[in-house]
Amino acid sequence: MSSPGLQGLRPWIIQRVSAVYIAFYVLYLFIIFMTTNPLNASDWSAWVAAPHNNISIGLFLIAVLWHAWIGVRDIVLDYVPNVVGRLLVLTIVGCIILGSALWGFKALFTVIV
Amino acid sequence: MAVTDNRPFFLNLLKIRLPVTGFVSILHRISGMLMFLAIPFSVYLFDLSLQGHDGFHRTVEILQAPILQLISLLLLWSLIHHFFAGIRYLLMDFEIGLDKKQAIQYAWAVFVIEAVVFVLLAMEIFL
Repeated sequence: MSSPGLQGLRPWIIQRVSAVYIAFYVLYLFIIFMTTNPLNASDWSAWVAAPHNNISIGLFLIAVLWHAWIGVRDIVLDYVPNVVGRLLVLTIVGCIILGSALWGFKALFTVIV
Repeated sequence: MAVTDNRPFFLNLLKIRLPVTGFVSILHRISGMLMFLAIPFSVYLFDLSLQGHDGFHRTVEILQAPILQLISLLLLWSLIHHFFAGIRYLLMDFEIGLDKKQAIQYAWAVFVIEAVVFVLLAMEIFL
């Protein structure tokens, strides 16, 4: 069963580009958190509010959510055979992805204002 | 046209004996799915942790609950497996580790490396 717009080279390449960004960013975060003393509330907020962190976390959020969307979509297309089921599950997944995006950006934005 | 075919035909996942490459693959999916399911709650905690002193301490409190320690451990494994299995797939895109023997070796390498890294990080973070 084909699902127009859900297959092809574009999601394939996005999946790989996002994977590379996520991999390096996770390494960066692990190194930061392993080499920094336990944070307090104001240090943590200041760290997230610093422009380079705020922006790179925002990019990380986009990369993770886009990567998750493509990955979960592939799983759904493999295991949910009928169109109505796919539409239903993918709609729920899409709402979770977009909702998380809005919430995450709200958090990133409110810490800088 | 009667063709005798004695090959087993079943889709019971518990009866299918996967090769090691298959395990890396299915665990890549399972770990990815687990992390996807954790996204909304993680975003909630991220937001909460940025809401001043109280929010930060509430977040630490939540994360220290035994059930969440367990879930964190599971997500740590998910991340590590997804990371190393993912690197294996990226290498495959560059046609590294594609022939059968190498594919199996690299799959074992993923499991060995992930086990070591998981134990080291789990001890570092949780002890």
